[in-house]
Amino acid sequence: MNKNKSNNNVLNIRIFLFLLTLLLLISGAATVYAEKIELNYRLKWLFNTSVAGDIYADAKGFFDDAGLNVNVKQGSPEKNAINEIELGRAQFGVASADQVIRALDKKAKIVVIAQLLQINPMQWIYRADKPKIKVLNDLKGRNIGITFGGNDETIMNTVFAKAGISKNDVNITGVRFDFTPFLMKKVDIWPVYRNTQGVILKEKLAKQNEHVFFFNPADFGINFVANSVITSMEMVKNKPDIVKKFLTSLLKGWEAAMDPANEKVTLDIIKKLDKADNDKIRKKQLTATRKLIKPFASVKIGTININAWKQTQNIMLKEKQIKNKVNIENHLIQVNY
Amino acid sequence: MLYRRIFQFLIVYIFGILFLLIIKFIFSLSDYVIPNILLIIETAAQVFKEYFFDVINTLSVTILGQCISICMAFFVGISGRKSSWIGSFIKVTAYNIQAYPIVALAPIIFILIGDGFISRLLIASMICYFPLLLSVLGIMATPVKDIEHFYIITGQMKWHLEVKIRIFENLSKLTTVISGSATLAMAGTIVAEFIAANAGIGYSIRIALYQSNLAKILIALFLIGIIISVYQGILEVIGEQIKSKWSISKKGTIL
Repeated sequence: MNKNKSNNNVLNIRIFLFLLTLLLLISGAATVYAEKIELNYRLKWLFNTSVAGDIYADAKGFFDDAGLNVNVKQGSPEKNAINEIELGRAQFGVASADQVIRALDKKAKIVVIAQLLQINPMQWIYRADKPKIKVLNDLKGRNIGITFGGNDETIMNTVFAKAGISKNDVNITGVRFDFTPFLMKKVDIWPVYRNTQGVILKEKLAKQNEHVFFFNPADFGINFVANSVITSMEMVKNKPDIVKKFLTSLLKGWEAAMDPANEKVTLDIIKKLDKADNDKIRKKQLTATRKLIKPFASVKIGTININAWKQTQNIMLKEKQIKNKVNIENHLIQVNY
Repeated sequence: MLYRRIFQFLIVYIFGILFLLIIKFIFSLSDYVIPNILLIIETAAQVFKEYFFDVINTLSVTILGQCISICMAFFVGISGRKSSWIGSFIKVTAYNIQAYPIVALAPIIFILIGDGFISRLLIASMICYFPLLLSVLGIMATPVKDIEHFYIITGQMKWHLEVKIRIFENLSKLTTVISGSATLAMAGTIVAEFIAANAGIGYSIRIALYQSNLAKILIALFLIGIIISVYQGILEVIGEQIKSKWSISKKGTIL
């Protein structure tokens, strides 16, 4: 009887110790999990090669390593990172320079912490059987596609102003995502994102033995900044350590994704999320993206080109897209990482 | 009736704006996310005239689209009112076409016929025709036994007489449906303009969205609401007048 009782006590002690250990393990894990900081990062566009670095950082656990639990959300024309940051649904996001400047003009409290694209991917594609555009006046007499209300309209208007081209000298056609008017040769010069749509169209036309050129306004001194990483002023002021951790992880992802040595890994990561394009296209898109993100080996990814931002602001002011100067330089914070 | 509609719309619109302003105040949002009242007024001064003509442009397509869809609905409704094989075939075809979402069909339409007037008209008609069809089919397929019985037993019943009897007996219902479908026709036209057109208020809203300009969108919504209210009011008045003319001038002997 006594022996049985003693056995029961030992068993109870063992169960108690087991439960205690389990409890400690669970609470320990919960503590580790709780230490991770939850963040939402809203991209500007869908998951494809143009956001290679963002998804690379996520897939390779760079955010996790920094103690961050980042939810990388794909964007679309209807999803606006600035709105989401103001509404508290995202802490970081990607926005184009015109969005940022327009928002600052309306007193949004946001700051730019890194400039992802050093060269604007917004360029115009045209067939090589047409004369090459060597000077801006070569645009005269052509049928040019423009997305009314889009930043390509602002850029092209600046091109016209710089060249002294009036709207009567060219034919303007409003464009959408559908390339048919360009493919059917109804429009000569078509706006594309050089690293995504540009690659697809070039490939498509190459199959029909047609070759293309790209018209890049930056080659003619018109620098209009594209995508940058933004956050709220409050975040920079109150949680600078999180901003630094996030940006360091993100740019580490971009550096790795743009490194030709990691090309296969990067393409595999993109492939998991981008089902729209094929392997060949994605590879070419990655090469094109590399040139826009890191045009020279000496360029550090994320570098904010203040002069280009100022020029963008001036263009928008001239085009009456904003009422007053927003002193953009005060909203550009180059975080050292 | 017309004034009441406008007044009711204004109440809804003002409440909507107030709701947005409360959200703006609670979350301390900038004018970029939700514009303040002064910015809305300032924007209205800038774009009111342009947007007004855009809405009129859209309304012209809407009216035409609605007329086409009324004709289509009556054609299908009258042809498909019998429970014969051809009647059921017409009904099945009409229902199946509607099963495809218009936003999926729109790009095909735009590729085939471009992004001009015809595409907008076609999409507007397609969006507003189905509810009309359902009502017309319902009305046309339901006999008015008390009246029809007389013509049937005297051997005077003809198909157009049958149609006239059923329309007359359901005139109030038809007026309401046609008036209600105006909203759908307008929505259809705006969808078409939004997807791929180069004119109309839907196109202007898309441009405003590109620029995240909510103030412009609010002005566009105001004009759409006012003008559609007026249009619906006019349709109701016309419906009332037709009804009273049919029953008074013919003293109930129109048939």
